[in-house]
Amino acid sequence: MMIAAYGLSKFFPIRGAFRSTASLKAVDDVGLKIQNEQVVGLVGESGSGKSTVGRCLIRLLNPTDGEVLFDIPDSELAEYEKARAAAATERLDAIADRFSLLRRSSSELRPLRRLANIVFQDPYSSLNPRMRLADIISEPMLSTQFCSRAEAGIRARELLHEVGLPGFFEDRYPHELSGGQRQRVAIARAISTNPKLLILDEPTSALDVSVQAQILNLLRGLQQKYGISMLLITHNIAVVAYLAEYVYVMYAGKIMEWGDKRKVLRDPQHPYTKALMSSVPVIGETMTRTVLRGDPPNLVVPPLACRFHPRCPVAFEVCGWSADEVVEDLEYLLAGKYYGTFGDGVHVATEGDRTIVVQGTTDAQRISELVAREQEEIRSLKGIKAVDVTADATLIRLHEPIEPDMYPSTDGREVKCLLFRTGALVPAATL
Amino acid sequence: MSDALEIRDLHVRFHTRRGLYRALNGVNLRLARGEVLGIAGESGCGKTTMGLGVMSLLPRNASYPQGQVVFDNKDLVNLPREYSEQVGDRFSPKQNERILRRVSKAMAPIRGRRISMVFQEPMTSLNPVLPIGFQVGESIYVHDPAQLARRVLARSKATPELTRELVSLLAATHGDETSVRKFAAEHDLAGIEEQALFVWSRGDIHISRKEKAIRALSGQPMNFVERWIIDTVVRARSIPWYLSRIPILSRIVRRVLMREGNRKARELLTSLGIHHAERVVRMFPHELSGGMRQRVVIAIALANNPEIVIMDEPTSAVDVTVQAQILELVKRIRTSVSASFIVISHDLAVLAEVCDRIAIMYAGRIVEVAPTDEILHKPLHPYTQMLISAIPTLEGKPVEGIQGDVPDMRAVPSGCAFHPRCPFAFEKCREVIPTDLPHGSDQLVACWLYEGK
Repeated sequence: MMIAAYGLSKFFPIRGAFRSTASLKAVDDVGLKIQNEQVVGLVGESGSGKSTVGRCLIRLLNPTDGEVLFDIPDSELAEYEKARAAAATERLDAIADRFSLLRRSSSELRPLRRLANIVFQDPYSSLNPRMRLADIISEPMLSTQFCSRAEAGIRARELLHEVGLPGFFEDRYPHELSGGQRQRVAIARAISTNPKLLILDEPTSALDVSVQAQILNLLRGLQQKYGISMLLITHNIAVVAYLAEYVYVMYAGKIMEWGDKRKVLRDPQHPYTKALMSSVPVIGETMTRTVLRGDPPNLVVPPLACRFHPRCPVAFEVCGWSADEVVEDLEYLLAGKYYGTFGDGVHVATEGDRTIVVQGTTDAQRISELVAREQEEIRSLKGIKAVDVTADATLIRLHEPIEPDMYPSTDGREVKCLLFRTGALVPAATL
Repeated sequence: MSDALEIRDLHVRFHTRRGLYRALNGVNLRLARGEVLGIAGESGCGKTTMGLGVMSLLPRNASYPQGQVVFDNKDLVNLPREYSEQVGDRFSPKQNERILRRVSKAMAPIRGRRISMVFQEPMTSLNPVLPIGFQVGESIYVHDPAQLARRVLARSKATPELTRELVSLLAATHGDETSVRKFAAEHDLAGIEEQALFVWSRGDIHISRKEKAIRALSGQPMNFVERWIIDTVVRARSIPWYLSRIPILSRIVRRVLMREGNRKARELLTSLGIHHAERVVRMFPHELSGGMRQRVVIAIALANNPEIVIMDEPTSAVDVTVQAQILELVKRIRTSVSASFIVISHDLAVLAEVCDRIAIMYAGRIVEVAPTDEILHKPLHPYTQMLISAIPTLEGKPVEGIQGDVPDMRAVPSGCAFHPRCPFAFEKCREVIPTDLPHGSDQLVACWLYEGK
């Protein structure tokens, strides 16, 4: 196994006036594996935490929590997973001490930096404008003591040829190059120390399609020639479809689904992946798409349980509806669509985390009817467990949310959705 | 029916310190009424310059040596063209600025009102220190203040009896637009119809709520100064000089009309699918997400019922799920609004979804125009073919890049600008600029390969 991450989390503190008051949960409990010589895609919208995962994996950022094992033999990894399942801390530590990237000091990391490298998104800002291309490409070789300065110069020239640039470019500066050429230089720099793992952070999103195609073919060629493992981080699903074998789909800091590329892209299982795939415009196809309502959530106060539930078209009872979410929709219904039934003077408010009080009406019957009628359309109403009546108000109780886990799907992928829980309390209607 | 817009042989050059940048080199394009036309091309091919050129929004170092932009039988660029014909090589940005200022004045009744534009990157085109409602309202206040005044006036003139009649008319005709318009005209209530129809078309509120809201459109209280101002603006169809120059009066005018502008902004945003528009109009751009901002910018462009809307990269600043929302929105408004659209994008798949016809641009020229299906399935120009084969698909089919780079527009290759990258180039391509050759009934291709076919 090239790299394996378990429970990787990265919380960024948000500075208050005097101390940090909250944290942005950019990456939360992410597990990810890349086999030797494998290309793995990580897709997600902007702000879903995919770049943060990439940086945490090679410790450009220090994760808040979790474990990253690098270049670990499969037998040891199986052992580790066994120990993890059994929560055998000593055994875990013994293996992690040898392979974990997170337990290395920065001086111990230096030689490891040869083995893992990264290509950044924007080739305009990731190349130092004051350095010649030869120096840019030699820099990682020298800083990791991969070879001597003289050898590095020769190798830089070779690498320029390798990525399809003429050798005389070595004396040029980045500003003399077009976007595609710059990205080639960034790739040359990344492969200069013969790495085993390459993190590609949006390698083509700053480029035009015609140039993007060149870069994709270059990456594919290098992968086949040197057998580099790659993590391809991108928002462009078609790029993943072209290069990767496995795909991880990320949303709001969590992995939603992962599995074989062909299966995930052709027959997505998670509701988010389904919506994502149907959003991708395809030439020559008019399709019916699931348009998601709203926007990705605020990660400082992420939604309860499943982070996708507020936008999910098939969310059901226990997906994590909070009292506030239900109140908002109820208010909208009672004061808007059902204004004729309830009239003025109805007031909806939360009481604690799991109960809602509707002042001004004791007509539980009507409210239950309304909930039953609208819940297919307004999913948050599904979270309502019971409607009770008190002396002068109606009391609405909500279901307790269940945190989804990665559940194995039938064909070898894993999906983080309660719909896939085996032996679940899922009502047949929602499936 | 005549075309909504015609661009004839348009050339645009930028005079820079490092030489003459030939951004557009003879663009010919027709936009039919009610049509959605897509413009595709790589970055730097002149898509945006063309959009800005139509709006005469180019900076002062831009000259128009040749060509016309014909809108409503008027040439929008004749002044700067005459200037650059007159001076030739002795072009001076300072003098050109004077000309462009005159053009701006002449464009005032057109720009934003009859032709409007959705600019790239909503974050930079919205003002960060003004609330959303103000910015949407302002675009109406500046371009068409009479529209706002009519709305206020109609509300003040409408009696409870008339609005009750209006409600029953709406109920009887199921919100038929023409009969409501007729009703408004008969009772001298121009301006009330759009407000009533908006309320009626809302899907999110109960019918009794709608009726109440429409009945509330009557008896707007106004003091006599306000009434006089509103009357004057409606009669003059604009704000007369004495209302905009006299300090105290101008402030009242602004207050009355901008309040109405805010109201209209709420309606527009709601109809573009923003919930809680009354809250959103008080927010500032940074409080909105990318998709919401894009909707706000589209609302501003649609505010004055324009005849042509130019959308410059409407979805490139947003994520794919939000892009899907915006595309669905564009599809919806193209049926509900009687405007023609020009959609500029680098993403052919986006255009394929919303456009009737697509034009492919390369190095400041249109190389191929055809209906969407034709261009995607039977592309003729080698550039179009290569561009389409460079797009990766979900099936992961092999992609082929186009060798070489986009040409430097300071030294455009001779003949066909694509010849250095074209695998089929022959002698003639290097020497003669290809003309638009018709192919089939509605396809134009600028390539010598199709000469005499």
